[in-house]
Amino acid sequence: MTAPLITADRLTRHYVVGGELVRALDGVSFDVREGEWVAIVGQSGSGKSTLMNLLGCLDTPTAGRYVLAGTDVGTLADDALADLRNREIGFVFQTFQLLARATALANVELPLVYRGLPRRERRERAEAALRSVGLANRMHHRPNELSGGQRQRVAIARALVGEPSILLADEPTGNLDSQTGEEIVRLFADLHARGHTLILVTHEPRLAARCPRAIRLMDGRVLGDGPGGELASAGGGRVPA
Amino acid sequence: MSLRPARLLGEAGEGLRIALASLAAHRLRSFLTTLGIVIGVTTVIAIVAIVDGLDASFAAQIGNLGAHTLYVDKWQWLGTNESWWEMRNRPDVGARELAAVEREATLARAVSPSVGMRATLSAGDVTLTRIRTTGTNEANLLTGGGTIAAGRYLTATDLELARSSAVLGAEVADRLFPGVALDAVPGRRVAIDGHPFTVVGVLARRGRMLGMDLDSNAAIPFTTFLRDLGKRRSIVIAVSAAPGELERLEDQLVGILRRVRHVPPGRKDDFSINRQDQFLRLYGQLTGALYGVAIGVGFITLLVGGIGIMNIMLVSVTERTREIGLRRALGARRRTILLQFLVESSLVAALGGGLGTALGLGAALLLAQVTPLAAAATGGAVALGLGFSAAVGLLFGSWPAWRAAHLDPVEALRHE
Repeated sequence: MTAPLITADRLTRHYVVGGELVRALDGVSFDVREGEWVAIVGQSGSGKSTLMNLLGCLDTPTAGRYVLAGTDVGTLADDALADLRNREIGFVFQTFQLLARATALANVELPLVYRGLPRRERRERAEAALRSVGLANRMHHRPNELSGGQRQRVAIARALVGEPSILLADEPTGNLDSQTGEEIVRLFADLHARGHTLILVTHEPRLAARCPRAIRLMDGRVLGDGPGGELASAGGGRVPA
Repeated sequence: MSLRPARLLGEAGEGLRIALASLAAHRLRSFLTTLGIVIGVTTVIAIVAIVDGLDASFAAQIGNLGAHTLYVDKWQWLGTNESWWEMRNRPDVGARELAAVEREATLARAVSPSVGMRATLSAGDVTLTRIRTTGTNEANLLTGGGTIAAGRYLTATDLELARSSAVLGAEVADRLFPGVALDAVPGRRVAIDGHPFTVVGVLARRGRMLGMDLDSNAAIPFTTFLRDLGKRRSIVIAVSAAPGELERLEDQLVGILRRVRHVPPGRKDDFSINRQDQFLRLYGQLTGALYGVAIGVGFITLLVGGIGIMNIMLVSVTERTREIGLRRALGARRRTILLQFLVESSLVAALGGGLGTALGLGAALLLAQVTPLAAAATGGAVALGLGFSAAVGLLFGSWPAWRAAHLDPVEALRHE
């Protein structure tokens, strides 16, 4: 058996807020293998945002070990973290986070700028990424000329363009109507089928139910880890205690 | 981690693109931000251009004035510790001293006495008042610098016979004999303070120096001056040195003067040996002061402009906090963010500097057109304006850029 893509070993993240210790994450352990589609589910305050920041290498754990694609993240300096994010992680945000003054193409090129690729190669790869999410004829539009679903597709293309190890999506359908949200979910399913590793952070059990695997968090601990479908049938939309 | 050139180039290009887009999106704001820089650079460039212009014309003129000449005078011209009263009480310099210098100054190439007054010159219907009129000798052309444009200069015979001969400055000749060809001026009659004179020559035009018109004057024989206009007054003895002998000539002259005046050892000189380079020194002080003012004004306005840039860059960092978070998430290093904001602040400042340089040079050249001041657009001034303002942008942009680079990516992404 090959080594897991992600190993989270008793990941812990504590904050001090107003002199009081907050255990946002309190010893979370799990593995993710290449090609998996995993949902991280939990209500607000469950620690899922903290976990996402750690998985995305935006933050470092207080204790515990996080190994991403063979790299122990806890030991890295800021520049190395930035390079790791650039190489291994594709972010998809709830609010899209596109640059308003740049075209779809320029937005998608951005991770490759920070990787130091020459202009021509950036352009070619960004065009390919936009085609793969069905935006071949929207490349030179700015975000305000695109619909919500199209904007999220641009963001997904931006996440894909650097061919990262994992796609990390934070409430990717949260700002979309249900029909457009469904399109995005289908796009994720398609990406999963193509072999991408997806981690989807959400508070919606219905969305988690679509994922082959769901990790449930509560109060900074893992409450359950199993097929997403079971989650939905168990609670009928409500998270079981 | 090695630094790939392509990456640095890409990041710099991205920084420039971001800066240009930001400028285009906030045109008015950017303009107002850089206005302080514009005003500062305009002031400095205008003053520097004028001083440089003065330098150029001054350097061209000072050679004409007899830079190798010493002037024995009752008065110290510039920069003296003596009181006016002490100098007033010195004995006049006169024929005794002139004779001693002519006899004993072996290092002198030419000796020329001069005694001057403001006289009224008239010819035909034209009357000019307060024209500098000098009684001198044939050597004055050598000691004072200058060339003859028409006719001849004073001669030893003019002096010996105390002839009523006059050599006119170019400006005086023009105004006394309007419409008369230069060659036709010698031979004409001119009255100086009522005494009849014959013009024997006209000097070539020399222009102005330190606001003094070098062409509005007349020269007559020293002997004639003493006879016709001669009030009893102190004369100035101009003594030209052979090249490289100026210092030794000065020592020699001091010795001659002290001997002929019986100044006992230990007593101060009761005369002064003056030099043209005293004017140079005064001029240096004057332009130095101008430079000082320019630097002071420029420094203060650039400081104010720099604070304006810092302020607007802090606003810009706050406005773009989420964008910074996003860029960090996509793999931008701190250095990349730092570079991005530094490019933007120095670009705003340099644009202001460019505008200020153009305005300052324009103002200086305009001033040179409508006033006697000169102006020169030197490359140094332009480089100074652009370099200074870009440096101000870098300096005052560095704190906002540092703040941007050290934002926590998690916090920045959450920023509303």
